[in-house]
Amino acid sequence: MADYVLEVKNVDKVYGHGETEVYALRNLSFSVKRGEFMLIVGSSGSGKSTLLNMIGLLDRPTRGKVIIDGVDTSDLNDNELSTFRNSKLGFIFQFSNLLSDLTVLENVTLPRKIQGTVHNSAEEARTLLKTVGLETQMNKFANQISGGQAQRVAITRALINKPSIVLADEPTGNLDSISAETTVQLLKSLNRKLYQTFIIVTHDRHQFGDVDKVVTIKDGRILKEEVEAKMQ
Amino acid sequence: MDYRAQIGIRFITRRKGSLIAASLAVAIAILVVQVNSVIFQGLYDAIVRDQINYRFGHVYITREEDFITKSDFVLVNWLERIPYVQAAAPRIDSSASINATIDGKIIRDYSVPVIGVDPVLDREASTMAQTVGDGQYVSYRNSVVLGAIVDRDLGGPQVGDTIKLKFKDQHGNDVLRRLTVVGITSTAGSVGLDNSIIMNIDTLREIIDRPHQTQSIIVRLNDPTKDQDVKDLFLAAFPSNADKFKAQTIEESAETTLRGFRSGIALINLVGYFGMMSSAFAVVTIQMMQVTSKTRDIGVMRAIGSKRKDVLLVFIFQGMVIGAIGAGLGTAMGVAYTAYAKETHMTFQGSLPLEVKYNWTSIIQTDIMAFVLAIVASIYPAYKATKLEPVEAMRVG
Ligand SMILES: Nc1ncnc2c1ncn2[C@@H]1O[C@H](COP(=O)(O)OP(=O)(O)O)[C@@H](O)[C@H]1O
Ligand SMILES: [Mg+2]
Repeated sequence: MADYVLEVKNVDKVYGHGETEVYALRNLSFSVKRGEFMLIVGSSGSGKSTLLNMIGLLDRPTRGKVIIDGVDTSDLNDNELSTFRNSKLGFIFQFSNLLSDLTVLENVTLPRKIQGTVHNSAEEARTLLKTVGLETQMNKFANQISGGQAQRVAITRALINKPSIVLADEPTGNLDSISAETTVQLLKSLNRKLYQTFIIVTHDRHQFGDVDKVVTIKDGRILKEEVEAKMQ
Repeated sequence: MDYRAQIGIRFITRRKGSLIAASLAVAIAILVVQVNSVIFQGLYDAIVRDQINYRFGHVYITREEDFITKSDFVLVNWLERIPYVQAAAPRIDSSASINATIDGKIIRDYSVPVIGVDPVLDREASTMAQTVGDGQYVSYRNSVVLGAIVDRDLGGPQVGDTIKLKFKDQHGNDVLRRLTVVGITSTAGSVGLDNSIIMNIDTLREIIDRPHQTQSIIVRLNDPTKDQDVKDLFLAAFPSNADKFKAQTIEESAETTLRGFRSGIALINLVGYFGMMSSAFAVVTIQMMQVTSKTRDIGVMRAIGSKRKDVLLVFIFQGMVIGAIGAGLGTAMGVAYTAYAKETHMTFQGSLPLEVKYNWTSIIQTDIMAFVLAIVASIYPAYKATKLEPVEAMRVG
């Protein structure tokens, strides 16, 4: 049996009730192997973010299961989900997702503080910030740096707890093309270096070049699942 | 530092507007309570002070429904042997009619209180002698000190002038007397000496035909906390079944005067507590705004692993910051006001000097109450914040 870091099984997500009921996801199933760099693509409104919310345990599916590292997350309560997110998942959102009242360094070490393992966290955060070229910006408040820099800080924050899966929703969506390119290269090189699984939602798959897997979604269903996807 | 405390502190301290508004609300509530306390407790204490100094002493000895017939000399001597007693003096309260005159014309005839005092003992037992601004205190027989208003109504006799007063003796007969003005008293205060006449107790005894009798003995203590002890000692030595003596502490003797004030103070305190309630509502409102403006941050915290109770704590810590800064500011303003009142010898309506004290117990109580209130006022907004879901982190915009 393959070493699956993520298994999505027959997931439905329904918003609203009765008349206003919307199927954002419909009977979705797929699996991801450890260390894969995977893209979720599709047009706007197709259900990409909803799917990422399910994988990221930010919201619960209406039906079906999300299994991460062999743990059926539907069995976890609210507090257990929080702990699980903290240790197993790293998040990078489209819009500025740093706490603007904390410094860059404080933002990066926050997951460690939440985890209660602050020992060495500042040193590790510094090392990571150096990798992304932000060692000089560490003591600035998060709202005093550029959007591209903030996105790189978010990446280091997503990595500090050595999660099994790093999730990103349109991480370049809000950036100029140069910052976007830097971010893409950074994500890919980190994936190779750290052997962590990256699942990235994008509407622009070309930006990412060759990846391990691409899942295309349309109207909440899987349209296409490609492995070892080469850039056309 | 605990990360929830750190985030809570940053959230509020980096929002100067909210911080200032919320802590000012708390501070002003404290200030209101403090100002009320300075003015109304100060007024109450001032009245107690004046009642002790001029009228009742710390312990006030009378006889049930009659004059004291035992020798005042014996009683005063007995009392002055108690170590807590600084001085004691006999008094008689009576009244006399005066003819009020304007430009030499009599306009009306009215009655004024007359206080009979022992010229020597009274200087020790009361501070009435110190209120004489012009002239001197009562001394020899037939000497009187006039209250400023009485003097004015009498057409303004000067020290050395002779006045005529009409008394009633104990049998109801009119007694007319010529007396010499030796001093004029104009006191600030609540006891109305300005309306009274002070005279030699022996002269008054003779006028009202009560030789050797005394109406009351005022006892001044060097340790005011021992009033109950002195009262008990006295009543034990002169049991009430024999002499029918009555001894009262100042709280008892001035009860009628003080009772009204006490309920007034209770009412004013109520106003203070309403002020506290409204500042609590201000804190609730500001905290709700904080929660709304931090919705995405809360979502991000939840997404990266904070639990609901962590979010709750963030806003409780915010409440603590508001409470602490508000309490600090409020105390500073309150103490500054108290210091100002003390320095400037603040008076009530320009006449009664307030008895201003730093009441640290009450200050600390008010502070703790305001601090706790700021936290309590944060509970509902904090609870609302815990209801936000992690998906808030994903919200667009
Ligand atoms: N909270 C929500 N309530 C109701 N409908 C929603 C909600 N979130 C998303 N949807 C709907 O679900 C569908 C998929 O949305 P989304 O996952 O955001 O798409 P994408 O990220 O691919 O643009 C859309 O039709 C959207 O309107
Ligand atoms: Mg989306």
